[in-house]
Amino acid sequence: MNWLLTILTFLPLVGVLAILFVKESEDGSNRDTIKWIAIAASAVTFAMSLFVLFRFDATNPALQLIDRVDWIPSWGISYFMGVDGLSILMVLLTTFISLLATIGSWSAIQTQLKAYYIFMLLLEMGMLGVFLAQDLFLFYVFWEFTLVPMYFLIGIWGGARRVYASIKFFLYTMAGSLLMLVAILYMGITNQTFALPDLIAGREAFAHAQNLLFIAFFVAFAIKVPVFPFHSWLPDAHTEAPTAGSIILAGVLLKMGTYGFMRFNLPLFPEASSHYAPIIAVLAIIGIIYGAIVSFAQTDAKKLVAYSSISHLGFVTLGIFSLNSAGIQGGILQGVNHGLSTGALFFVVGMLYERTHKREMSVYGGVWSVMPLFSALSLIIVLSSMGLPGLNGFVGEFTILLGSMGAESLGPHPWIYTAFATTGVILAAVYLLWFFQRLFMGPMTTDEVRTLPPMNRRELAVLLAFLVFIFWIGIAPAGYFHLMDSTVNTLVNDIGSALLAVAP
Amino acid sequence: MPSAVDINWYIALSGILFVIGALGVLLRRNAIILFMSIELMLNSANLLFVAFARHLGDLDGQVLVFFVITVAAAEVAVGLALIVAIFRTRKSINIDEINLLKG
Amino acid sequence: MNTFSLAPLILYLPLAGLLFNGLFGRGIVDRNRKSGERFVGWLATLMTFGAFVVSLTLLVSLATNGFEAWYVPIMDWINIPGANFQVGWTQQVDTLSVTMMLVVSGIGTLIHIYAIGYMHDDPDFSRFFTYLNLFVFFMLILVSASSYLMMFVGWEGVGLCSYLLIGFWFGRVDKNGAPANSNAARKAMVMNRIGDFGVLLAMFLLFWTFGTLDYTPIFDGAVEMYKANHVVQFGGMSLSLPTVLTAVTALLLLGAAGKSAQIPLYTWLPDAMAGPTPVSALMHAATMVTAGVYLLVRSNVLYEVVRDSGALILGLISTPDLVAWTGALTAFFAGLIAFSQNDIKKVLAYSTVSQLGFMVAAAGMGAYVAAMFHLITHAFFKALLFLGSGSVIHGMEHGHHEIAHGHGDDGDGHDGHDAHHEDDGFDPQDMRYMGGLRNRMRVTYITYMIGALALAGIFPLSGFWSKDEILLHAQTHEMPIFILLALAALGTAFYVGRQLIMVFFGKPRHAAAEHAAESPALMTRPLIVLAVLTALGGLLNAPYLTKAMAERNEMHPRGFWFLLEQWGEHSIPAIHLTEEGVVHMPHTPVVLSPVVAGLSMLLAVGGLLLAWLVYRGRPRTWDEADRLARTPIWWWNILPLNTFYSRGLVPLFNRFAAWSAFKLDGEFWHDFIHDRVIRDMFVTFAAFSSNVLDAQGVDGVVNGAGAVTRRLAGVLRLTQTGYARTYALAVFLGAVGLLVYFLFMAN
Repeated sequence: MNWLLTILTFLPLVGVLAILFVKESEDGSNRDTIKWIAIAASAVTFAMSLFVLFRFDATNPALQLIDRVDWIPSWGISYFMGVDGLSILMVLLTTFISLLATIGSWSAIQTQLKAYYIFMLLLEMGMLGVFLAQDLFLFYVFWEFTLVPMYFLIGIWGGARRVYASIKFFLYTMAGSLLMLVAILYMGITNQTFALPDLIAGREAFAHAQNLLFIAFFVAFAIKVPVFPFHSWLPDAHTEAPTAGSIILAGVLLKMGTYGFMRFNLPLFPEASSHYAPIIAVLAIIGIIYGAIVSFAQTDAKKLVAYSSISHLGFVTLGIFSLNSAGIQGGILQGVNHGLSTGALFFVVGMLYERTHKREMSVYGGVWSVMPLFSALSLIIVLSSMGLPGLNGFVGEFTILLGSMGAESLGPHPWIYTAFATTGVILAAVYLLWFFQRLFMGPMTTDEVRTLPPMNRRELAVLLAFLVFIFWIGIAPAGYFHLMDSTVNTLVNDIGSALLAVAP
Repeated sequence: MPSAVDINWYIALSGILFVIGALGVLLRRNAIILFMSIELMLNSANLLFVAFARHLGDLDGQVLVFFVITVAAAEVAVGLALIVAIFRTRKSINIDEINLLKG
Repeated sequence: MNTFSLAPLILYLPLAGLLFNGLFGRGIVDRNRKSGERFVGWLATLMTFGAFVVSLTLLVSLATNGFEAWYVPIMDWINIPGANFQVGWTQQVDTLSVTMMLVVSGIGTLIHIYAIGYMHDDPDFSRFFTYLNLFVFFMLILVSASSYLMMFVGWEGVGLCSYLLIGFWFGRVDKNGAPANSNAARKAMVMNRIGDFGVLLAMFLLFWTFGTLDYTPIFDGAVEMYKANHVVQFGGMSLSLPTVLTAVTALLLLGAAGKSAQIPLYTWLPDAMAGPTPVSALMHAATMVTAGVYLLVRSNVLYEVVRDSGALILGLISTPDLVAWTGALTAFFAGLIAFSQNDIKKVLAYSTVSQLGFMVAAAGMGAYVAAMFHLITHAFFKALLFLGSGSVIHGMEHGHHEIAHGHGDDGDGHDGHDAHHEDDGFDPQDMRYMGGLRNRMRVTYITYMIGALALAGIFPLSGFWSKDEILLHAQTHEMPIFILLALAALGTAFYVGRQLIMVFFGKPRHAAAEHAAESPALMTRPLIVLAVLTALGGLLNAPYLTKAMAERNEMHPRGFWFLLEQWGEHSIPAIHLTEEGVVHMPHTPVVLSPVVAGLSMLLAVGGLLLAWLVYRGRPRTWDEADRLARTPIWWWNILPLNTFYSRGLVPLFNRFAAWSAFKLDGEFWHDFIHDRVIRDMFVTFAAFSSNVLDAQGVDGVVNGAGAVTRRLAGVLRLTQTGYARTYALAVFLGAVGLLVYFLFMAN
């Protein structure tokens, strides 16, 4: 028995309990205590995830640090936690982004602090559970659980149309997951178990229905990613969410979708995955181009970044459904990269918003003259999002496109897909440079910009934390690939042999 | 050796006492008298208990009487306290004036 | 003994400089303007110069180690064992890369020095030098990379620096209030990205063909596989190697066209002149824009394989020919456009595009060494010309400043009015306001003259030799291209002549030109050094020395190893593909063809004379129309792609993006499908359920139950009198009732 992952997952709950014991006094004297407890809880969780990394053996492709207890034995449901190459980076990303988002909320949130930080910590717990659960039932519980804190984070601390956005977010995601629930129940009842490894081993039992099951899972995850055309909830949720909510939403929640593709769709339904790969790749490429074009036309800074997520995650989806090692590894890494660069972009926009309470880009311009250091750091973040070589985004994008060029799953002419997807690189420059120019370059036109207060140390620290990884992954990503290589190879080989077995 | 009195006499006396008590409860308006009437009814029951205990040679009736006496004492204590409290506020113990529960 | 292990220093030194200046430069300059500027500027210069010194030691090491390529690993980069994909941060030191290193760091050093003077008193002095070092850093990554992918890091990196430096004065707006500099910066980056799209796709193809992105294995593999008639399995297709390589080389050409500003992607370069002049000299003339040429030269093996195989694009043209035609057409048309420019820097910009066309054409014809030769001499004389133009602009601004001060002092109303009138349109870069500067700025004039004559191709300046080599190659291999290039050479001489006349000769046409003053020594000394290099640069590959070298080769195996032809041979193998396979041939020594050389001289002198005839003493005043303004030559001003992009493609894209965002995604998908169809349908159904089904159905039952209860209670309440007696009676009656029941009815 190994309690490590359980401790990691539920560690944020300790913070929740501690916050419950603090009274949020009228005069606000206890506010710092609440913030510090939340930060400490996130920090300890982050440290714990590093410890998990330390105990993780990258050369072993199988699930590790397994923690498995019977839960509802009569239905084959168990409490089953484990980590492998697909999830280790996601776990680290979750704890890291949650920590930064918590620190980043220091001055942005002024009302109902207690509830806010409790929801943040609960959200972290839910996300960790999603990435660690290896039993479909348990996974589903965590999956739905994450909706609740996010719903309140958007609905209480969001912008003007927060109620609309939060309800839309909740319903949209919920609708997709219900399909998945049906599929999970079907498989669980057919095979008398909900444990993922057992289901994969016995996937023959539901092979006859795998196309339908695949679609059920795919829709649930595609809404979360979001894959075009299921993206409509995202701009609303992102624009209305508080900064930290957007950071977590972009940084982690969307990755739950792409993670789901890899964790469930590929190993459970290899033939269906291969069968639908070209269609999904087309959707992904439409997402890449469409997201980029639409975000170019935005006037609202936050919305622009939100739409850029659609474009970026199109790359991730394309990589995953290349069904080869380069594509999938690139997809995982690009998921991390997107979490870092888009999370950081939301933080940048959030910093400006906190100062002026304006999201319209026309208000800004010439910020560089007022806040040079901030602007320089923002430029690096924009470039990372744009995929400039030497920064993190490039490594992921390049690997994905490289993978898609050699993807056997994409039929006889994979280069067509790659060529279209690569135009995303041009379009990324178009919309991100336009974004940067409108905020930071050009002449100063408004008093809001002239009187911008300087960046404080807390903000600098958060930005630098993002930048460390942006550079690290960009310059020396080998270690990151090493973490996932063996698991991804096993997965790819498994898919390959499953396809061979079917082929006449 | 006391002369044996027939059980029927005891029953009759008890019945008479009980009816007096009951009529007192129904007809009188003074709370104190009401109380006394209730005591009368209780004691009519006590008399019957003792009589039957003797008649049947079973001590259970005697035991029950003690219980009734105890309860009656407690009831009087509470009841008198209530009456005193009501008198203090209303300057009267006429129970027809105490009709707050009217629907 | 060699110094190859020092190679990473050429990256670390500029990196250290940029980190230091980036972090502390602003503080240092703010504390003490004068000494701070000197410290920051010279630190950046020193770092670049350090890279130059290291490059020199690398040159010596190569010469003493048999000129063999040397690989210097720095660290692991991308390594995905599962996909067999491995690329490291590894430098490749060979004769080609060292040549580029020397050009970049050498000219870079001179321009750094110049910039200390030019950028004096700029509020963002330290930022400028941070960017310059950043550029040197990326450019050295580009040229010293051992793989396409690492090259691409530098490739995009210099694009970034170009973006940053074009937009250096990002706050400036043009007459219409548009942020012109920021727009130009963005344009450059996006145009470059279009080229990068090609390079990326080429890399993907290369990887799936050769399994690696390192230069040497790819080039060796290409030759081996070509010999073996290897068939490339690609996705579900089987393709012959030449087909794949045709695609690769065409895509690389797209990349080179973006970076080296060739048709159809050249339009960003003239706009890039919005950056400070040292930047135009360093990046947009001497080094960065030649990266495309470098890429073509570096990939020479791929082009040669395609050329030999005779594979055609769509059965029309082979990629090397396409390269040659692209270059020649660009050289010709960009030269024509330069005729009509009045901005001193724009003339030079179009001239750069045109000269890059010469290099690209040379590369396309297989004259790789000639391309490199022209690249080097062009770096000398074009850097000189840009720095000279910067000096002119500096002088004009000084003069303008002078007159503004002058009339403020004596308060001459009439004069002041005049000056004010002229101020409305005054532009220190506009040649129409200049004239007669040869007397005011002697050093600038003489050095500029040397550079301009070299550009025109006057014997014995360096430009003559390198251009002649390209023309000779064209004349012996591709006659149509020779004609285009010869015409371009004539055009070059013509616009050079026009510029010289407008700037330095005639009479001053504006008060600012009358009061112009020579620039400080920090700016003129680099001009002198570059002028010397321009004058002597031809020696690098002078034909007679080469011939002599060839004759003496047996006696002195190492003799004249520094001549470009022999030096380049080690990294640009002269591949000859025969029916049996590939034979590495010794380079044929360069010769001087009297016919071609004479013709080229004739064209140069003719062009200058023509310019003299047309523009002597013109324009007389600054607002006089150009003498050629009504001739067909001017049409090229209207025709260029620039208009097509800015009036056609860009608005089209903007409108399409707005339509996608607001109509398709906003009104249709978001508002209509989600809010109207899905939500409203649900809301309507919900309203029906609520108002009809629920209110009258379910609710009716529930409310009815309540009403009945209430009415019943109204009756029953009468029983509650509140008299204790009533309740007691009820109890008695109940008791009596029970008694009666038990006594008489129970049985």
